Amino acid sequence: MPLMAASLGDMTVNKTGSWRNVEPHHVEQVAPCASHCPAGNDVVMFVTLAAEGRYEDAWRVLAATTPFPGTCGRVCPHPCESECNRTQLGGAVNIHSIERFLGDKFRNSPPEMPKASHTHKRIAVVGSGPAGLSCAYQLALAGHGVTVFEAHPQPGGMLRVGIPDYRLPSEVLDAEIARITDLGVEIITDTRVGVDVQFGKLMDKFDAVFVAVGFTSSRPLGAEGDEGDGVLPGIEVLRRINLGLPDEVGDQPLVVGGGNTAMDAARSMLRRGKKVSVMYRRTRHEMPAIAEEIEELLTEGIEITFLATPVEVLREDGRVTGVRCIRMELGEPDESGRRRPVPVEDSEYTIECNSVITAIGETSDLSFLPDEIKAKTSWNIPADELGRTFEPKLFAGGDVADGAGTVTAAIGYGRKAAAAIDAHLTGRELPTDAATSPSLRDRTDHVVPFEELNTAYFEDKPRFEPESQPVDERIKSFDEVRGSYSEEELLAEARRCFSCGSCPACDNCFIFCPDAAITHVKGDPFKLYIVDTEYCKGCGICAAECPRACIVMKAVR
Amino acid sequence: MEALPHLKNFTEVAEREIMTSGHVACPGCGAALAMRLALKTLGRDTILVIPACCWAVIDGPFPYSAAGVPVFQVAFETAAISAGAIRYGLDATGKKGINVVAWAGDGGTFDIGFGQLSAAAERNDDIIYVCYDNEAYMNTGIQRSSATPWGAWTTTTPGADFKRERKKNLLEIMAAHRIPYGATTTVAYPDDLVRKFRRAMSVEGFRLIHIFSPCPPGHKALEKDSILESRYAVESRVFPLYEVEDGTHYTLSMDPPKRPVDDYLNLQGRFRHLTDEQRAYIQQTVDEEWARLMHRMKVGEAIGG
Amino acid sequence: MQKILTGNESAAWGAMCAMAQVVSAYPITPQTTIIEELANLVAKGMLKAEFIKVESEHSAMAGCIGAQAAGARTFTATSAQGLALMHEMLHWAALGRLPVVMANVNRAMAPGWSIWTDQNDSLAQRDTGWLQYYCESNQEVLDTVIQAYKVAEAVDLPVMLVLDAFFLSHTYEAVDIPGQERTLGYLPPYKPSIYLDVNEPHAFGGIVPQDVYMEFRYKMQLAMDQALEEADKADEEFNRMFGRGYGLIERYHSDDAETILVTAGTATSTARVVIDDLRARGRSVGLLKIRLFRPFPAQLVREALAGCRRVAVLDRNICVGMGGIFAQEIRSALYHQPPERRPHIHGYIVGLGGRDIIPEVIEQIADDAEKRTVDDGRMIWIGLKD
Ligand SMILES: Cc1cc2nc3c(=O)[nH]c(=O)nc-3n(C[C@H](O)[C@H](O)[C@H](O)COP(=O)(O)OP(=O)(O)OC[C@H]3O[C@@H](n4cnc5c(N)ncnc54)[C@H](O)[C@@H]3O)c2cc1C
Ligand SMILES: Cc1ncc(C[n+]2csc(CCOP(=O)(O)OP(=O)(O)O)c2C)c(N)n1
Ligand SMILES: [Mg+2]
Repeated sequence: MPLMAASLGDMTVNKTGSWRNVEPHHVEQVAPCASHCPAGNDVVMFVTLAAEGRYEDAWRVLAATTPFPGTCGRVCPHPCESECNRTQLGGAVNIHSIERFLGDKFRNSPPEMPKASHTHKRIAVVGSGPAGLSCAYQLALAGHGVTVFEAHPQPGGMLRVGIPDYRLPSEVLDAEIARITDLGVEIITDTRVGVDVQFGKLMDKFDAVFVAVGFTSSRPLGAEGDEGDGVLPGIEVLRRINLGLPDEVGDQPLVVGGGNTAMDAARSMLRRGKKVSVMYRRTRHEMPAIAEEIEELLTEGIEITFLATPVEVLREDGRVTGVRCIRMELGEPDESGRRRPVPVEDSEYTIECNSVITAIGETSDLSFLPDEIKAKTSWNIPADELGRTFEPKLFAGGDVADGAGTVTAAIGYGRKAAAAIDAHLTGRELPTDAATSPSLRDRTDHVVPFEELNTAYFEDKPRFEPESQPVDERIKSFDEVRGSYSEEELLAEARRCFSCGSCPACDNCFIFCPDAAITHVKGDPFKLYIVDTEYCKGCGICAAECPRACIVMKAVR
Repeated sequence: MEALPHLKNFTEVAEREIMTSGHVACPGCGAALAMRLALKTLGRDTILVIPACCWAVIDGPFPYSAAGVPVFQVAFETAAISAGAIRYGLDATGKKGINVVAWAGDGGTFDIGFGQLSAAAERNDDIIYVCYDNEAYMNTGIQRSSATPWGAWTTTTPGADFKRERKKNLLEIMAAHRIPYGATTTVAYPDDLVRKFRRAMSVEGFRLIHIFSPCPPGHKALEKDSILESRYAVESRVFPLYEVEDGTHYTLSMDPPKRPVDDYLNLQGRFRHLTDEQRAYIQQTVDEEWARLMHRMKVGEAIGG
Repeated sequence: MQKILTGNESAAWGAMCAMAQVVSAYPITPQTTIIEELANLVAKGMLKAEFIKVESEHSAMAGCIGAQAAGARTFTATSAQGLALMHEMLHWAALGRLPVVMANVNRAMAPGWSIWTDQNDSLAQRDTGWLQYYCESNQEVLDTVIQAYKVAEAVDLPVMLVLDAFFLSHTYEAVDIPGQERTLGYLPPYKPSIYLDVNEPHAFGGIVPQDVYMEFRYKMQLAMDQALEEADKADEEFNRMFGRGYGLIERYHSDDAETILVTAGTATSTARVVIDDLRARGRSVGLLKIRLFRPFPAQLVREALAGCRRVAVLDRNICVGMGGIFAQEIRSALYHQPPERRPHIHGYIVGLGGRDIIPEVIEQIADDAEKRTVDDGRMIWIGLKD
């Protein structure tokens, strides 16, 4: 014993861990962007990697879930952004522009993807839309042989024949499809299954068949005189434009509908120098088209007549001269939740036009299926979320299965179906959702809301939108309307990401622990911190100061 | 599989750990965190002088100590002279390159040790004097000090007799001594805290660092909210972060968007009893003090401090 | 080297010879000239020391404590109110086992203000764990400063040496000054047993739980026991080297005396003259000077007093409610003697607040004591006015 009260050792003898009744756990939680990405992209990961300037790594994260970053960066309605927690602090992160930047950056020289060794299994894919190609891409990466049958002369489905070039330039699509064929996927175009090759034959010859034929038939207008020349489905008009064919539309068309097809048809007409207008039976609020498309259409000077619908196509000598319409008003909500339009009595009026383009919805064309299979279908081919149908070797996905109507949903469906097909063919275990998007720590399935973030650590910086071509320029051609980020802009925008629920080792927990009870784990990039349970007093500062809700306090058992 | 890129919020905090776990600070103690961060910066060549205060207990009972550097526990009022004297002792025995740091509470600084503090500042003793300010005598169970703010409940200002006197402005008083370096900081801003310690280490003579230090039991606040309280203290301008060189040249360390003082008060039960009018009065005093600080800053610039 | 010095200057020169490394002090009459002289010695470069110009005695002692803990030899001086203000820190130095050396110029406590001598200030600090020496001459002051370091550093306890206001503090005498070099031969540089060392960090003075505090107190007691031997050795060694020794007590014509007077401080010198005079007149009186008061040299006191018939203790102090403090100490030291070796002990209160203790007063005390037939333990006040 010393002369006086002089210490002889440190306080680690005092295990203060016994004081606590709650304790911190480092977890990985779900970011709302990722939870709302139908393609299953690991949004936080690719955005944060991009923010670091690690573009190739970011691209690889995207490439794990989608072959179409350049495409989705342009046409996806980005539900990720609608849910983005950044919305409340300067606007949602411009995720799609970041994705687009990454897609474009590696468009012409994509990094090589590791491919599994050949399984000697062969899969037929019917339809080369995003669902079919996504499935083919994943199957090829898994080592399977894939043949895609496509009725159109060029692959891509609606990406090719629906969406016009001014939104999705064909060189973007070409390059991304080329990456798929470079993996060994065979795409046989100009071949309609049911006509050029029988469906039953595919079922016989291939180990599995994935049907992704999309929605290719247009719903009729249902107005008097809607049959005959001068009344054309929107998707048909767009197909002709996209394939470089004459459009067969007069110089004063009326587009009927409020979805993407209507918007694209109208804007394409404008670019072909026609005096086009749009008629929609509800209000702008109910329009199913992507909001930005509506916005752009209006800025381009196209008028939309709301709350009106054609009741008769007026003709003179068979030629369309105009449309008799009736005004509508909104009644009770229908099953879609939108308020049902009901005709206003005695409100009919006439407008002039010389073509009518119908774009009031599309549905599937399953006429190619043999009767015994068709019998088990309705408007769609019923399939579970992994694309499995009533036939073990028959899989289906994309619009034809769920009618989701977005490119990303189709991509996600294709990827999950590929996993199911792979499991079916190889007996490999079906990867869980957690395993398909890699996780670093204990995972919860909790989607992090804004309130759980600690926004003190994030600057209130506004979202940045890349510039679009000036209106009077862009309506003269099919050149792309929207611009892309410079590298500097990209970095600034990507750095706005909160990375909700994902720990980027910000060190707050380590730094703020009054008890020095959180330590770094050295040499393990995935497990970054350890809570020293011998000393943690359970104050909860680490969880409170975690910017990203990556620490949860749990009761001590 | 990629690991998420690392995004540090604070880049100045050293990895090294000098203070050990196992100390007996209450959960969520701002003073414990302040010490941990300070020692990370000061390093092992440091002698700590601790007068009576919570830290005299936190460090641990005989024969243990959490500080990891030599600690000299001294009488309540003697932090400044004791540290100064250690410096004289080191000088007299030819020992160089050691930080001598007085680490005192607000009671030991604003009240009982005030005379000795002033004397050490006047002598320009070569020490870093740290006041971790939890705004009351916490060690003895939450009695008022002259650092307790207007309106606060303490056990000696209970009920309707809540404190009716305003808090002393410590750094202003010390600036009037023309000390070479003085600064305010707080635990919510580790980089600021570290930088100020580093800056203090680079200056000779009397240096003062005033750390606002949340105390969950004393402020009747949640343990997890200590950093939040500290941050709100700065954002509401209740505790502005700034530096003073030679007592004349003022530099504001940060000027975050102004937060209503109510946000800060609402985190703490010690202010719960206050009426809207009383809260408005606090807001007014905070605004006045801020204006005065801005004024001093301008004057400092004008005379080219 | 011989110099004509006041008692205060002697204290300062003692600290100079001992090469105190840090001086931390605050002025108070009648101590002031000690620190003025030290300031001069430092300013002239004769003493290489840091001089902390503190703002109070509390800080003066805290300053010694801090510097001593950092490993430096320290010195301070004070008096009366200053000493009282230090009280908290006196405990700190002692329990901290820091061998600080301090000169205290005995001065009466206020109010009303008195700047003149009595022992109440130093005796009020009796229980703080400090050694206390009471000095009789300027030479003894200087020599005791040097001896004090030797003892303090041997037992890790602080030492206070006491000199009377004005009678010593401001009175000139010829003083022999050993100088730093010769003193170094007697007193090697300070080597602290444990100090604030960044290479071997310890925390000093943390909370001590109930189950260990007593042990530290016991260690202090052992150190005080040892201090008695060390003080004796230190004095003997000093005597060998410098030809001067004082003992822990001094017996002056006491061996065969029936009546022995007990004094401490400058009253001793006056008493010597009175003893000589009374002896010449055939009276059987002697004198016992108490130099070391803490630790109390009880055995030596017993040996000195056990054979006489009566003891008259001159207390220049008063423990109000109990009597003179030296008298109490001596009573308790002799209590354990068999009755035949236990003299009557009469306690006299004299010279408070600087009142002169002139030879007539001392003779009056001797007369009074010789007349007393019972030992009633009552305090006897000398020279009280109505
Ligand atoms: C004009 C328009 C604009 C759109 N804009 C967007 C947008 O901006 N963002 C968005 O997310 N979504 C948009 N969509 C919806 C999106 O394009 C579709 O939801 C998506 O393409 C569905 O993908 P899929 O693979 O299921 O089918 P599709 O893309 O429709 O592909 C099906 C493919 O199957 C082929 N096929 C069909 N039957 C056969 C057969 N019997 N034999 C061989 N091949 C056959 C078709 O030729 C077609 O190529 C738009 C749709 C249209 C029509
Ligand atoms: C001379 C003296 N008076 C009173 C005390 C009792 N005492 C110990 S700590 C303390 C309060 C300390 O308050 P502060 O300095 O604010 O530090 P805190 O405990 O709040 O950390 C008091 C009054 C003491 N130790 N010494
Ligand atoms: Mg306090």
